Amino acid sequence: MLRKLALGGLKNRFRDYAVLFSGLVIASAVFYMFMALATNTSFLTKNSPVAFTPFIFGFGAVLLAIITLVYIVYANSFLLSMRQRDYAMFMMLGAKGRKIGQLIFLETVTIGILATIGGIVIGMVGTKFVGQWLIHTLHAPATGFTAIWLPAILWTLGFFIVLFVFSAIYNASKLLKTPMMALLHQTQTPNRIKQRKVSFAIQIILGLVLLVVGYYSMANIAVFQLLAIPLALVTIVAGTYFLFNSVFVALISLMKRNKAFAAKQLHTFTLSQLSFRIRDYTRILSVVSILFALALGAITVGLGFTHDIPALANQATVYDVTVTSPNAATQAEVNKLQGVTAKQQYTLKSDANTVYVNQAAIDAHPLEIKANDKGLNAPSIKVTSHNFNKMIKRYPTAFGVFIGNNRGKQMKVADPATFAKLGHTETLTTIKVRDFNQNYDTIQKIVTMQQHQYPRLGQTNSDQKFAFYAVVNGMYSGLAFMGFFLGLAFLAMLASTLMFKILSGANDDQSRYLMLQKIGARPQTLRRSIRQEIGALFLLPGVVGIVHVLFGLQMFKALLSQPYANLLVPFGLFIILYGLYYLATVWIYQSIVINKDLAAKA
Amino acid sequence: MDKRQPIVTVENVTKTYGKRGEKQTPALKGVSFQVEPGEFVGIMGASGSGKTTLLNILSTLDTPTSGSVRIKGDDVTKLKGNALSDFRAKRIGFIFQDFNLLENLTGRENIALPLALQNVSAKKQAEAVDKIARTLGIEAVLDHYPTELSGGQKQRVAAARALVQQPDILFGDEPTGALDSTAARELLNTMDQLNHDEGVSILLVTHDPFSASYASRILFIKDGQIGSELKHGDKSQEAFYQEILETLGTFQK
Ligand SMILES: Nc1ncnc2c1ncn2[C@@H]1O[C@H](COP(=O)(O)OP(=O)(O)OP(=O)(O)O)[C@@H](O)[C@H]1O
Ligand SMILES: [Mg+2]
Repeated sequence: MLRKLALGGLKNRFRDYAVLFSGLVIASAVFYMFMALATNTSFLTKNSPVAFTPFIFGFGAVLLAIITLVYIVYANSFLLSMRQRDYAMFMMLGAKGRKIGQLIFLETVTIGILATIGGIVIGMVGTKFVGQWLIHTLHAPATGFTAIWLPAILWTLGFFIVLFVFSAIYNASKLLKTPMMALLHQTQTPNRIKQRKVSFAIQIILGLVLLVVGYYSMANIAVFQLLAIPLALVTIVAGTYFLFNSVFVALISLMKRNKAFAAKQLHTFTLSQLSFRIRDYTRILSVVSILFALALGAITVGLGFTHDIPALANQATVYDVTVTSPNAATQAEVNKLQGVTAKQQYTLKSDANTVYVNQAAIDAHPLEIKANDKGLNAPSIKVTSHNFNKMIKRYPTAFGVFIGNNRGKQMKVADPATFAKLGHTETLTTIKVRDFNQNYDTIQKIVTMQQHQYPRLGQTNSDQKFAFYAVVNGMYSGLAFMGFFLGLAFLAMLASTLMFKILSGANDDQSRYLMLQKIGARPQTLRRSIRQEIGALFLLPGVVGIVHVLFGLQMFKALLSQPYANLLVPFGLFIILYGLYYLATVWIYQSIVINKDLAAKA
Repeated sequence: MDKRQPIVTVENVTKTYGKRGEKQTPALKGVSFQVEPGEFVGIMGASGSGKTTLLNILSTLDTPTSGSVRIKGDDVTKLKGNALSDFRAKRIGFIFQDFNLLENLTGRENIALPLALQNVSAKKQAEAVDKIARTLGIEAVLDHYPTELSGGQKQRVAAARALVQQPDILFGDEPTGALDSTAARELLNTMDQLNHDEGVSILLVTHDPFSASYASRILFIKDGQIGSELKHGDKSQEAFYQEILETLGTFQK
């Protein structure tokens, strides 16, 4: 009998279970995908020129685990709220507490395990695609990469099963401890906003102080080192909660007290909707604002890293590749370069200790070098016969790429008459392309072919832009990838957290909106009320999340050249996505709670 | 306006449930009657006879399959969209068996809702709420939430919300159904007083003979048709009650 009732509950609330289940599946799939990359250290070390990479991924994994934990706690409370009335009903029908406890435990763990297994399977498919993309952007050979990776399976299963067993124990004891009447009528208990001035002041001060501590520790990550991140996480989460708990509550009662405003249309109702569930809402607003900040922050930083790759690679060399006296095979590769924006050929001559370039040639077509002592965004300098001697003294390392196989010799400018008499003719070709990354493979071939052709280049050709680019790309693409990946994972969790919140109220709201329609509220007025209520749930955490990100970017001052440049793209994109999600949520909610058939439930 | 214009005119209303091709359930099979200004009409009938269906159609929550319903001359079956919502808000009051109060609003806020929807100023809202609350004797509980009210108080708040706009007519579907006998009697006395002193027209669906004995006229509905009619006239309420019991006895055979 009891089993029948439990299953019946499942059937009745299919929509809620579908949302819960898909949310959990996404969470475990994301976790698996990340673990499949992070725990595959042989793949990471083999394919990235930087030994640092496994550590970066390990750090990302910890962050992901923390957020997943918070998410599971939230999903679990959604499950609990969904089931508590049913279980209270069973108890009223005479079911024994112990039996109910078992049932809840079983239900929670079953849902958890099924979702985790589903998530791992989806994660495997996802890993295949994500892995391909990563291999492509890292320009890494796919050795050691596999979508089905046992350590990741074990990690994911272990992590989630432990979480769900704890959730199940929590659910069972929580339900058995709460008085039955409270369980049955929980959603109808009014929540009078009683806010004492003292507690309001304490909360707002505490909130602000905690936020300041969090922001300060992020800005001074150099001082706090690794401690900065957990410190910031804890203080900012708590500070956000206190701030919402005081300010949000105060804002609502302030608007309610403004009679002229509250008395219009459904304003009183909308405000009451918010204040009625205020405890839930302040909690969810804090969670959402943190997820918002993490998602937006991760994507912004990820994009920042991709911006830095060319900037860093460009800081030492102007030309994307230089070629000396290519053989036929190398020339064929040179011809394959795409989007060539500048290509200039010079003639070089040499004797035992010196390489000469023709004065006429470099005055007509100056060589370009970077002022490589000026760091990022260093200006490029045009070198002609007039400033040649000064420049080569100042930036001796910048001229290596011009002399090819003659490394170790002195480079000089010769006037045309002298030049004509010299022997050992070679060519130098300087090339600029529009997009280095697009030509990555071709440039790599040119550089290695030149090394084969001129054995002396083997050690010294590392001043080509390619060498810089490979190192920078190896490290920063990994970071950028992690930023995007975590950002999207947080965004998915944010979306389903909001969806939980909104759906958990839908059943009660359905009857409320039906009543309002019966007493003559226009459907468009109801729609506006829904837009406003959900709008508050989206807007407030969005604004707070953006503030968090603006302070959080301080952490990346040391890693990114300009953490605050190019904010428009990630912020704009994110806000558009968030806005679309808002519209979708409003639409779904309206279609759930606004009835077409008023008599159906009369 | 013609003073003698009927408040409600129902002509040949039928209602068949079930879409085309599905199982057809005829719930109303041609109902016609009128409610005169200031009348208190009761509608009685066995379970499943079509009372709720009729009331839903009268109160614009549902549409008839055929026939027409006019309230003070306006054909409500033709209303659509905002006009329909506004009609519900301004012209009719409705009280339900299960109160239908919004549990997240206080009594005062619940009562003021129809006025707020019409953008009446805050001051006028407060005046109107206070006035109707005095009439219904609920001034003391205006700032309570529905869960903090007794069943009888809830139904009075619901009645106040239905009447605050001074509608043409007050509809009730078993409003005493969820109340104990004392609370039911109090509510009925209040409705009677509203009907006599304020001239509010009332149409009440019930299958409780005692509730029905407050009406000035009772329509008995059977299998979707009006079977017979009783008039209160000059009889005492006691005598009318007996007459209802007898009619029900013969009617249900
Ligand atoms: N939505 C519907 N779909 C199909 N049939 C319906 C629907 N609503 C009511 N009916 C049928 O119409 C008939 C009249 O129902 P109605 O609810 O009007 O009865 P009632 O007189 O109010 O009964 P009660 O006293 O039990 O409330 C019944 O046979 C019922 O089964
Ligand atoms: Mg009925």
